[in-house]
Amino acid sequence: MTGEAKQKTATQVTRRQLTKELAGAALVLAAGVTMVQQAAGGAARAQENKVREKLGVPAKLPDQVPQDRSVLRMQRDLLRALQKSLVERRWIMVIDLRKCAGCSTCTVACKAENKLPPGVVYRPVLEEEIGVYPHLARRFLPRTCMHCENPPCTKVCPVGATYRRSDGIVSIDYDKCIGCRYCVTACPYGARTFDWGEFYTEGTPQVEKYEMEPSFEYGQPRRRVKGQSPIGNTRKCHFCLHRLNNGMLPACVTTCISRATYFGDANDRQSLVSELIGSSRVMRLKEELGTKPNVYYLI
Amino acid sequence: MRRLYYGLLVSLTALGLWAIGVRLTAGIKVTALKSYAPWGLWVSFYIFFIGLSAGSFLLSTLIYVFGMKRMEKVGPLALLTALFSLIGGLAFIFIDLGHPERFWHTLVYRNVSSVLEWEIYFYLFYIILLVSELWLVLRDDLARQAKYGRGWKKSLAVFFLLGYRSWPDPDKQAQQSSGAQTWVKTLGILGIPTAIAVHGGTGSIFGVLIAKPYWNSAITPIIFLVSALASGAALVTFLVSLLLPEEESRELLPNLGSLLSLFISIDLLLVAADFLVGLYGGIPSDAGPLRELVQGRYSGVFWVLQLGLGAFLPLFLTFLAFRTGTRSGPLSTANSLRLASRGVLAGSEASFGQKKRRFLGLACLSAVLGILGVRIDLIFPAFVVPQIPGLEKAYVDPRLSYSYSPNVMEWLVSLGIIAGLVLFFSLAWEVLPIGPSHKELEYGKVWSEQEGQWEEVKAV
Repeated sequence: MTGEAKQKTATQVTRRQLTKELAGAALVLAAGVTMVQQAAGGAARAQENKVREKLGVPAKLPDQVPQDRSVLRMQRDLLRALQKSLVERRWIMVIDLRKCAGCSTCTVACKAENKLPPGVVYRPVLEEEIGVYPHLARRFLPRTCMHCENPPCTKVCPVGATYRRSDGIVSIDYDKCIGCRYCVTACPYGARTFDWGEFYTEGTPQVEKYEMEPSFEYGQPRRRVKGQSPIGNTRKCHFCLHRLNNGMLPACVTTCISRATYFGDANDRQSLVSELIGSSRVMRLKEELGTKPNVYYLI
Repeated sequence: MRRLYYGLLVSLTALGLWAIGVRLTAGIKVTALKSYAPWGLWVSFYIFFIGLSAGSFLLSTLIYVFGMKRMEKVGPLALLTALFSLIGGLAFIFIDLGHPERFWHTLVYRNVSSVLEWEIYFYLFYIILLVSELWLVLRDDLARQAKYGRGWKKSLAVFFLLGYRSWPDPDKQAQQSSGAQTWVKTLGILGIPTAIAVHGGTGSIFGVLIAKPYWNSAITPIIFLVSALASGAALVTFLVSLLLPEEESRELLPNLGSLLSLFISIDLLLVAADFLVGLYGGIPSDAGPLRELVQGRYSGVFWVLQLGLGAFLPLFLTFLAFRTGTRSGPLSTANSLRLASRGVLAGSEASFGQKKRRFLGLACLSAVLGILGVRIDLIFPAFVVPQIPGLEKAYVDPRLSYSYSPNVMEWLVSLGIIAGLVLFFSLAWEVLPIGPSHKELEYGKVWSEQEGQWEEVKAV
């Protein structure tokens, strides 16, 4: 009896200890993962909550969801970056080519998010076949706008309609753009496409309603109406600026099925992306041109 | 014949206007352009006409700045050609914009790092310069036309004079015209760097693009300039052989012909250098377009139009013209030219002179067409190699492709703009005191077409 009771207490103690230890371990883990908690403590938390409140993001992000911890971390990184002023942010994207499965979900998500018409694509996935059977591999290369630090496209615009924002996003002022397509030819990555004014359901009994829905690029709701912007303008990836401003990650990041795409603030040393670009696997496209892309690849 | 000519031009212009209307109302989607090949036929025509303009203007400076008196008769013609070509070039780039109604943005919103932005200012300055120089050159003749001319030609001359009047006193008149000459020379001197900036700058629009190694070369603006000189000289020479009476052009044609062969030869040299370096290096984005030209998609345009019609045929024809010219001596050729034109002399000598003239005219027409090939060969092949290998297959869409060929609408619009240009040029030629008939006003005579003889005119 007593023995049993003792055993029970012992078990209880052990459980208690275990819980304690686990909690401690979790704390260490959490500290390791989100060092901001230690660094800035409660003040940062409070400010983060403020941003959350402002943007309507759920008050509490679960600390650990085993399936996709990184997306939550990126979400936190994003909220932290949004507290800073524009000039202090440097948005970058990191794409892990070993993880990319070539499903093109990002392409489709981007098309849907920005309601892109025929002839316009912001993020195609390039495929490459390497080797000869039986030693064969395929590599997939999602290509967004590189948001270069030294963009060849903004330099050439005759009206200054395309420009690099202080947070590093290369944007287009649709109402200024005259549609000369000089920037389209100037981009070494082919990342700029032109809105020719076509609709997918043109020539069918009716142009479907969903094609007429407004897109929210740059936070401006715009319907595609003949003769009006963005028809007749150059269009390009803008890291889903309208989503960022509302505390959301770009559509291609949240939809990636294999978590190959990461996004965040490179000026924040604690962000996931800063950690990732410290890898020896990191490379950028056509770096030799001196464009200094802000999209990094892990090969 | 004249009625047929104008009828044809008017109907082609009307067709073009309809096409332009469709283009402006339906939007840029009527073209066959692609997101990956965003520049096509219209941009080719744009640089073609800007080149013609700069070339013929630089030719006119030979007379007004460098004082080549022998060529004086070409001056107003070269200036008029430069003006109309520039208008043509601007029309083509206007119609190529995604938002043509926003063309004024280029004047209001600045971006100092853009070559295109600078070019727009150069075009503006250049057009003002061209118009003022042309006006100064024609001023005295316009005054004469206003004084002795008849009907609406007279009132048009009065209108173009903008209130200017020449002194009745011959001494004062001479003073006036020498003042005008000084101004013309000043404008010409200003015009030389401007024309170089206009077309060398247009070449730089392409030359500065690191994304296109095919263009990204210091030789690109230079080729632009030299081919502009060739095309300008060719067009002006063609017009001289076609429009100016024999006695006015007999000394001009050999000069112009040798200039043309010189320009074409330098152009050939530069093209050879460009091709050899690019093909030897073998960088796909540079050698790819060159290979398409030499033995690929655009080999027809390259061998037949650019090299055949643009270089070898004109060189051969001018060679023929000069060979026949030297055999009988320049003076006798010139004489025979003059006589043949009057139709006074029949027989071997007359037909011989006409043959030479025809050779040269044909050589020039062929060279002008050939330079169009040069422009097409600069634009079209630049978009055959994907910026990143695999991009061509990454997203399947008719507008996301690397193969472009102009569609009917693009051709119709181009044809319309060109027909309109030729139409207005012909009208200007008839109305302005540049053509052959006006000079006789000096001597108090005018060529009457109805009567087929010289008529005395009296001051009204």
